[in-house]
Amino acid sequence: MSITLINKKDVKEIEYEENLTVEDILKKEDIPIETVVVKINDQTVTEDEKVNDNDKMEIIKVIYGG
Amino acid sequence: MTDNTCTQCGYEHVVINRKSNGQRLCSSCFKDSIEKKVLKTIRKNKLVTKGDKVLVGLSGGKDSVALVNILNILKEKGIIELEAITIDEGISGYREEGVRIAKDVAKRLNVKHHIVSFDEKYDFTLDKIMEAQKGKDDHQHACTFCGVFRRQLFNQVARDVNASKIATGHNLDDETQSIVMNYLEGNIHNMVRIGYKTEARDEHFTPKIKPLREIPEKEIGLYVLESGFEVHFDGCPYAHESFRMEIGDFIRELNLKHPTIMYSTLNNFEKIKPAIKKEYDKKHVVPNGTCEVCGEPASQSICKSCKFLEKIHNELLNDGNQNG
Repeated sequence: MSITLINKKDVKEIEYEENLTVEDILKKEDIPIETVVVKINDQTVTEDEKVNDNDKMEIIKVIYGG
Repeated sequence: MTDNTCTQCGYEHVVINRKSNGQRLCSSCFKDSIEKKVLKTIRKNKLVTKGDKVLVGLSGGKDSVALVNILNILKEKGIIELEAITIDEGISGYREEGVRIAKDVAKRLNVKHHIVSFDEKYDFTLDKIMEAQKGKDDHQHACTFCGVFRRQLFNQVARDVNASKIATGHNLDDETQSIVMNYLEGNIHNMVRIGYKTEARDEHFTPKIKPLREIPEKEIGLYVLESGFEVHFDGCPYAHESFRMEIGDFIRELNLKHPTIMYSTLNNFEKIKPAIKKEYDKKHVVPNGTCEVCGEPASQSICKSCKFLEKIHNELLNDGNQNG
């Protein structure tokens, strides 16, 4: 599946295997889950939310450090 | 398939899965839970009393925005008076956005807002001090100067506006870090002063309260986003790798497997604190004097702020101006 990953000003299209959760993608991108809030298609989600093809996933860093 | 249903109201989209207590909450119930918890902290620990005038430090960051929004509930109910202060240290490319957001938030909530800058008060910016320090042997970190001058301005403005309380946005992560850091460093003097409120040792100081100290930092970030505030999430360019940061990373890592660890650290500290305090206070009496230069309360003959001002103006900037 292809998703748009937005991390501040950094926007990129990434190909991932199917059936991943928000937590899986954060791990793949090496982003500490405990420091961010994630929105999918502009809606805040929890880390166990499933990510689907063509989703827009925005990562908002709310804690510094880590 | 994960359950996406709010455990409070049944709404089918949750924004948080609280591993510490099993709650899964929708946006509305989550915001409600934060506000109720903070108001309960205030009530239980008597952080404000009816008629208090509270001056809240509003940097434009998530903690202060959440704090002013929740304290505003008490203002709207006519329980307290509320004013906000933003300190502009003069950090180019960083502080401007915080000041702009702070102005917008204060306007949106109809809270009287004071903006005080190092530049107008002391005739320098933090950037200017750091630039002047380049290449000097006894280089001090920006946070050392910033902390001392910010505290002084906070106290002065609190007195000027007759505030009876100063409210700061310290959260559960901050407090847990302070407890663990001070314990590991054996700094009992600082440790016994950690609490819901700091009792002023001198009438020149306004008591400080920390209404957010039971709320995890990440939940505060989520609260301001869900409340529709624009927030300054950037880190300060002068922030550096510090012991606090290492401890913060360590506790957050621990928290992944032990989601109640921050709450228990805080609660257990509150239980043992009276005993430590009693034992420590017997042996240590902090001098309670007045600064010979500015007349502010000081534990030595000249307060730290005046010592820094002298050094900055005479050694770093060579402008001979010491009138803080």
